[in-house]
Amino acid sequence: MLVLTRRVGEGITIGPDVRVVVVEVRNGHVRLGVEAPRSVEVHRDEVRARIIQENRQAAAVGSIPVEALRALGRGRGQA
Amino acid sequence: MKIETSRFGTIEVPEHAVLTFPSGIIGFPASTRYAILDHDREAPFKWLQSLDDGRLAFVIMDPALFKPDYCPTVTPVLRAHLGAADGDEVAWFVILTIPANQAGPVTANLQGPVAVNLRTRLAAQVILSEEHPIRYPVVECAGGAAVSEPTAQARA
Repeated sequence: MLVLTRRVGEGITIGPDVRVVVVEVRNGHVRLGVEAPRSVEVHRDEVRARIIQENRQAAAVGSIPVEALRALGRGRGQA
Repeated sequence: MKIETSRFGTIEVPEHAVLTFPSGIIGFPASTRYAILDHDREAPFKWLQSLDDGRLAFVIMDPALFKPDYCPTVTPVLRAHLGAADGDEVAWFVILTIPANQAGPVTANLQGPVAVNLRTRLAAQVILSEEHPIRYPVVECAGGAAVSEPTAQARA
């Protein structure tokens, strides 16, 4: 992993059009500003990590409470 | 194409029913081709079965069935990912998590729904920029029956 030291107000450039700037450092928290085209998705690591974890659990499906789910669909159309 | 699956045995999926997820489902990048299978005609949920890994399948549902006000934004970037032309309809599904031993509610991942372009058959799991629950309770498992044999008909 490339490690760089930056001060508040300084930043780094990634590729042709992504820029990350250190906005504020306080009490162990670092606020970052990200300038990127709209086509580049930017998410906190933990959101993606939680979705991966949830997908793994969802993929491990065993038995399904079919009747409970049927009750949900009844009278409200089909998926 | 014929696919060997762990849940449904060998299934036949016509080419026009294949959904392509260029980036896969998040955390499962190796599977890019899926088919939506009916559990049976009446069930309000479907199976999203990987065609690249017969053991990989998700239970999906139309979120309108339990949360009619859930309406994720189809951004221009997403439309581009899905090869969407003007007028193309983008359908949303959510992935359900069924608790082991049916203890607790079935939950839906509203933060990471699945978008499908019904014309191009291109699809993607999207991480929404607005905050939504990853485990939105849909229904209690109580009174649930064990999994029944699905008919596993691929939807055109």
